[in-house]
Amino acid sequence: MNTLLVFLGLVAMTYATAHECGPLQRLKVKHQWAEAYGIHGIHREELGREIWLYIFEHEPKAVELFTRVRGDNVFSPEFTAHMSRVLGGLDMVISLLTDADTLSAQLAHLQSQHKERNIPSEYFDVMERAIHTIVPHHVSHHVHFDQDAWDACFEVIAAGIKSA
Amino acid sequence: HKSAGGLSERAEQGTQLRHNHGLGFTMLGFLTLLALLGHTLAWDIECCSAEDRSEVQAMWQKIWSAQFTGRRVQVAQAVFADLFERDPEAKGLFARVKVDEFDSPEFKAHCIRVVNGLDTIIGLLEDPDTLIEQLDHLGGQHVARDGVHQSHFDEITHSFAKIMPQVSSCFNADAWDRCFSAMAQRIAKDLP
Repeated sequence: MNTLLVFLGLVAMTYATAHECGPLQRLKVKHQWAEAYGIHGIHREELGREIWLYIFEHEPKAVELFTRVRGDNVFSPEFTAHMSRVLGGLDMVISLLTDADTLSAQLAHLQSQHKERNIPSEYFDVMERAIHTIVPHHVSHHVHFDQDAWDACFEVIAAGIKSA
Repeated sequence: HKSAGGLSERAEQGTQLRHNHGLGFTMLGFLTLLALLGHTLAWDIECCSAEDRSEVQAMWQKIWSAQFTGRRVQVAQAVFADLFERDPEAKGLFARVKVDEFDSPEFKAHCIRVVNGLDTIIGLLEDPDTLIEQLDHLGGQHVARDGVHQSHFDEITHSFAKIMPQVSSCFNADAWDRCFSAMAQRIAKDLP
């Protein structure tokens, strides 16, 4: 009986930690991101465009936040450059997931850049879903994509950027 | 359009040719057409050839990956340390990001933003239209900062040229210099 309880306890613990952005999850997300993001601009554009098309499809009003950078045409150089900045920013914070102090400093910086734009909280949720829908197609062996780790770590990032 | 300067310069060259060699309007028209075709490449990036671009991307990839946070911070800090050695007064430009505490999270995050910006434009070397947009965006961000001069971009160009071979094996300095200078000059074009 005791053994069973200990076993159940362990199972419960495993389950509880599966959805957090712990040190191991951070390493895995960094690794999977590095593979998906790659180094070539053209490839990064494809990744970015798929993510943004997902977001605009599921939250059509979000386009209005991007009129200055031509959100009406995701193929324009203006929007492509914008995408490259967003993905570059995401790359930065993901790479800092294992360096807590610098991560906080960078998230504070991103928060100050976003706060005037009044981004509805649900847009961050759409981005989280966009990422776990699109990114797996850009890693090899995408059956091993760790959605729980990604969602949990994206939430750490989103919480840091959202205006208080 | 942004490349208007380059265009009119070429049209002028065409006019000059026409006067010097007595060539007619056909030649001028031809040169104008060439200038239009090449308008997105109408600055020094022409010297950064397709081979140079892939060399630069390959060199950069080996030292820069999201997996290696420590590397990123070290490379970025080394570049800034070299810059400040070259030009101690330039430190004043970074007071807002706690430059006096070189190892503070604020300054490290700043270092990473700068080198991450470089990572983005290196990635865009194959897509000149987007690259120009992004370089001009970075240009605008630097114009907004009082005290940043073109000379600072020359200095940081030298710092990168000095640091990169120390972390990159088989460093191709010529390819790097051609592409880096072209991009840096475009960012700095509206600076004093």
